[in-house]
Amino acid sequence: MPQLRDSGNHGSQAGLGPSSGLAGFSRIFGIETEYGVSLTGSEQPVEAGEVAMAMFTPVLARSRSTNTYLPNGARLYLDVGSHPEYATAEAADPLDALAQDLAGEAIMRRLALEAQGGLQERYGDQARIHVYKNNVDSAGHSFGCHENYLVRRFVPLPTIEAQLLPFLISRQILTGAGRMTGQGLVVTQRAKFLDEAISSATTRSRPMVNTRDEPHADPDEFRRLHVIIGDSNRSQFAAFMKTATTHLVLCVIEEAARLGVPSGLEACALADPMAANRALSGDLTCTTARFRLADGRGQTSAVELQERYLAVAGDFVSTHEEAMAASLPSSDCQTILKEWSKSLEAIRSGHMSDLTNRLDWLAKDRLMAGIKSRHPAISPTKLKALDLDYHDLANGSIYHSMVRHGVMVTLLDRDTVDQCVDHPPANTRAALRGAFVNKAQELAASFSCDWTHLQVSSPRKREVLLLDPFDSRPNPDYLKLMQALGEEGPAAHQAL
Amino acid sequence: MAQGPIRAQRQSQGSERDQADLAPVGQAKAQANISQSDQALDAVLDDIESVLETNAEDYVKSFVQQGGQ
Repeated sequence: MPQLRDSGNHGSQAGLGPSSGLAGFSRIFGIETEYGVSLTGSEQPVEAGEVAMAMFTPVLARSRSTNTYLPNGARLYLDVGSHPEYATAEAADPLDALAQDLAGEAIMRRLALEAQGGLQERYGDQARIHVYKNNVDSAGHSFGCHENYLVRRFVPLPTIEAQLLPFLISRQILTGAGRMTGQGLVVTQRAKFLDEAISSATTRSRPMVNTRDEPHADPDEFRRLHVIIGDSNRSQFAAFMKTATTHLVLCVIEEAARLGVPSGLEACALADPMAANRALSGDLTCTTARFRLADGRGQTSAVELQERYLAVAGDFVSTHEEAMAASLPSSDCQTILKEWSKSLEAIRSGHMSDLTNRLDWLAKDRLMAGIKSRHPAISPTKLKALDLDYHDLANGSIYHSMVRHGVMVTLLDRDTVDQCVDHPPANTRAALRGAFVNKAQELAASFSCDWTHLQVSSPRKREVLLLDPFDSRPNPDYLKLMQALGEEGPAAHQAL
Repeated sequence: MAQGPIRAQRQSQGSERDQADLAPVGQAKAQANISQSDQALDAVLDDIESVLETNAEDYVKSFVQQGGQ
């Protein structure tokens, strides 16, 4: 994680009113993805660390660090265990977060293919680089896709955790990326590893809500909900629905806390979340495995839990239509609810074939069935190889072929994603950071930044604090900093 | 990027099937959809035959690295 500063300057100081986002249901979304890397086709084995460093050579050359911010406002860095990691710029909408995350995929792909040439020089022209957007390697080590949601501080942490956890477990019937094990397909990538995550969340040793980290916003108003229980998705539909449905549920929880009334989600609490999670992953019907509800209230299933959350969210949207519409600048609540409902209906009625073109785990299931009917004696190892190929951004063929032949839907076109490679969202603080980084890079000026600070380093240190992630407007201090940037670098000596 | 309601991308190649609509359809259309859909999957399976030819053991074993955060 980047070196984070103490956001001691609270928005509640004189002259600064509450941030633009506090009222209503507006939210900031961010997705952090850790990628896996490997090299095949070389005579000797090559460590992931070397592959990752090869990818980051141009990053290192430009910023003298493997931790950098980009002109689109994102953070790109090399994480623990040699995982290239991409944290999207702040987005005000799940669809924008998706676009920014796809930009991250494009950036990773480009870095990988650029590194491949050099690796082939070293290891032979059969060498192929792989960048996996998944969550488990072949030895059982796991790594994550984490979501960040700004939530209003007046919601007690235990409330968020208690009411959100059953949702996060059950949503996996839509968001699970699937994984081929020796015994066949399971719904989620991380079932075994989520045991630890869920256990930590419930015992608070590693809580789902990070209170130690800065919220990157006014800590009087917001917390940053850091969700570690999620698979990395290739499916754009699944990735979108993951954050979109979570947003709706968070709105319900926030409003109940605001008014001091029950949300209606209290009844969803599970007696044994870890057992439920494990059972869910092994149940390809999503309706068979039963989970005990807390407080002796009987049993439920994954799809039934999701139906409960959908029903509460649906009622909520219909009684808060305007405010909910205002909370999402790029998406439509009705569409989200409709797609959520149709997906659950398909699962409930056993028509999984309706969803093979939009859920990762079902796409894989259909693919594997097709492969087995062509090659009945195919080995489990070959199926695992196909599973990995599905997640390989650099040299994978399966996902790309599925999209090309209409076997997998997408939500955003290539142009939109390409735009996001170079441009931050225009409606959040990322717009300011992105423009700053862009100018600094163009001028080869020395600078540093993190989520809430922009800093010019020479000839003297000059810094601007950007506390409100909803605010994309350049303030006078920011404008002065941008001007100073122009004066610092080598370009000061050239005609601009 | 205020885009309004989400739209499934239309594929320029292959079938023109509207993939965003999951509403129940008539029998004939359903059959047509199924065979189009089977054809599309066949096309994918054709594409990836070459993936099956690679040495799966080596491919799978080469992906090992320490866990993340």
